[in-house]
Amino acid sequence: MSAPLGPTGIATEEPVPPPEGAGLPPRQRLSPGQWVRENLFSSPANSALTVVFGAFLAWAGYRFLRFVFVTGRWEIIEVNLTNFLVGRFPRDELYRPWIAILIVAFVAGVGVGLSAQRGRAGTWWTRTKPAVPGLVLLAVLLVVAQTWTPLLLTAASFAVAAAGRLLGARLPLRTRRWMPLVYLATILAVFVAFTGWGGVGWDSWGGLLLNLYLGIAAIVLSFPIGVLLALGRRSTFPAIRLVCVFYIELIRGVPLITLLFMGALALGFFLPVGWPRPGQVVRAIVALTLFTAAYVAEIVRGGLQGVPRGQTEAAKAIGLSPVATTFVIVLPQALRNVIPAMVGQFISLFKDTSLVVIIGLLDLLAVAQVVTQQGEFLGQGLEAETLVFASYVFWTICYSMSRASQRLEKRLGVGER
Amino acid sequence: MSEPSAMGNGGDSDAAVRVDADATRATGETVISCEGVDKFFGDFQALKDINLRVGRQEVVVIIGPSGSGKSTLIRCINRLEKHDRGRIVVDGVEMSDDVRNIQEIRREVGMVFQQFNLFPHMTVLDNVTLGPRLVRRWNKKKAEELGMQMLERVKIPEQAHKYPGQLSGGQQQRVAIARALAMQPKVMLFDEPTSALDPEMISEVLDAMKELARSGMTMIVVTHEMGFAREVADRVVFMADGQIVEVGTPQHFFENPQEERTKLFLSQIL
Repeated sequence: MSAPLGPTGIATEEPVPPPEGAGLPPRQRLSPGQWVRENLFSSPANSALTVVFGAFLAWAGYRFLRFVFVTGRWEIIEVNLTNFLVGRFPRDELYRPWIAILIVAFVAGVGVGLSAQRGRAGTWWTRTKPAVPGLVLLAVLLVVAQTWTPLLLTAASFAVAAAGRLLGARLPLRTRRWMPLVYLATILAVFVAFTGWGGVGWDSWGGLLLNLYLGIAAIVLSFPIGVLLALGRRSTFPAIRLVCVFYIELIRGVPLITLLFMGALALGFFLPVGWPRPGQVVRAIVALTLFTAAYVAEIVRGGLQGVPRGQTEAAKAIGLSPVATTFVIVLPQALRNVIPAMVGQFISLFKDTSLVVIIGLLDLLAVAQVVTQQGEFLGQGLEAETLVFASYVFWTICYSMSRASQRLEKRLGVGER
Repeated sequence: MSEPSAMGNGGDSDAAVRVDADATRATGETVISCEGVDKFFGDFQALKDINLRVGRQEVVVIIGPSGSGKSTLIRCINRLEKHDRGRIVVDGVEMSDDVRNIQEIRREVGMVFQQFNLFPHMTVLDNVTLGPRLVRRWNKKKAEELGMQMLERVKIPEQAHKYPGQLSGGQQQRVAIARALAMQPKVMLFDEPTSALDPEMISEVLDAMKELARSGMTMIVVTHEMGFAREVADRVVFMADGQIVEVGTPQHFFENPQEERTKLFLSQIL
């Protein structure tokens, strides 16, 4: 709403003449020289700070760029790119992830096409900007891959996404109502693409694929559980309230690593005799979900408390049942208010998925360490390269999530008082 | 600040029932009756032995100093507050702890709040049609036709697709009236509907309420707008310290008040 939040650079590209008669002070255009003088060298102390920090930044930037482009030995990434992305996933089954990517690209295209029907906000650039880090990562991966197949398949994905977008723009607007179901179906379809027709079970997944899968599964599962826990904690039934409070406080008092160990070692004790023992990935998902649900519950509870009591009273006064009051009036407002905190929790969850290394799963971070033990790279101190690469991948995904949450916040904020 | 003894006030309640017969426009049929209603907030007694009957098509205005229990009384009538003793009967249904009873009463009783309490995440039309759709189970088309009628009645059909946050206070309060009317209630309760408004917006809300009164709606209005009370009310109820002190026609009430407490209040505000 305020200027600093808005997209930058518009005012300078297309100066909008102030409306006539509006007594706005004339906007000063500073030349670069003036800007530097006013902002960086306005006083001796300021000049000194500028010089010191400028020197430090220049040095750090030089070291970093030199590492990335000159001294860094990136062959370890090039050789192991597939390991980083999918871990031990069987190499002759790699067409499965690509099928999954094509499905996701198509559905995402349809979703974008549908939402574009409501009218687009902002310029082409402001709409594309949030995707830039992701596109850069993609470009980096393609450059590192150095083969034609991924390039062609990526191009195919974009083509499929474009087709989906065209389709989405032509669908009737009421289709939007079904999109949440479509997204759930997509998750299922992706799962089938991996495991169907004699496919590859979870326990052979690894690398980034594993992080993504754990993250998405835990988010999708922990969100509804967390919401129910939050509602339960405010329930008028003491028994329900007690159970929810007990659960939340118990989980929040235990480190995630403990839960992961418990999941890996002790989950079996809680299952009825004769049930199949779940694999490690399922155990990890259970632990991550239970853990995150408790935090989601507390975040949602904060949101519920922020909804004015008058809202509940007005809903009661027109005769809404308590259930309708909660799900139609209170929860939507509460959830919108806690989007930033909630996404923060989910970003945290996504990064925490790399903790599964302690129960023997080979995620992106684990791969980053394992590959330095390969014969040809052993003892060469290549951890810097692999860890920087893993961090970069994590950063791109987390940053994109953060941007997506800001967009969601803005879109849901329509008409907010 | 309270001088009148408990004894004296008991007598006032009798007066309340007696003057009931004076109701000018009421058809004689009782829609709301409160008998010996008490309400406590902890140790504080907010309502003391309230006896009040409201006839069909009657407009009752409740006035009194702040903290006198006016809002509490009308909030008891649709169970936003639970009364502790006595009986409240709305359109033949006695208020009890039974959830179905409460729902039935709330369906017949519309309420307008001081702070509007519109749902900020829904458009104006959705605000108005929510009750009919979810409570009366009407289909969308039917509910929206009725909703638009109600918005026309309060003279803001052109705002139907905006969000509450985009409207002025007066417009929001008129939407709130339309939202309550969309449930086609038999009684409308107004809890200081103009107190949160800027002065220039008060008249548009009062006009909507006057139109409603002329159409024969049964109304209980808590307000500080004495002009409205004089012009529209069939009876004025004066409350102080949780009790009904005096009841009468506006003429009787403003020109010939009987109780000292009433005279004092009127001298302070007029």
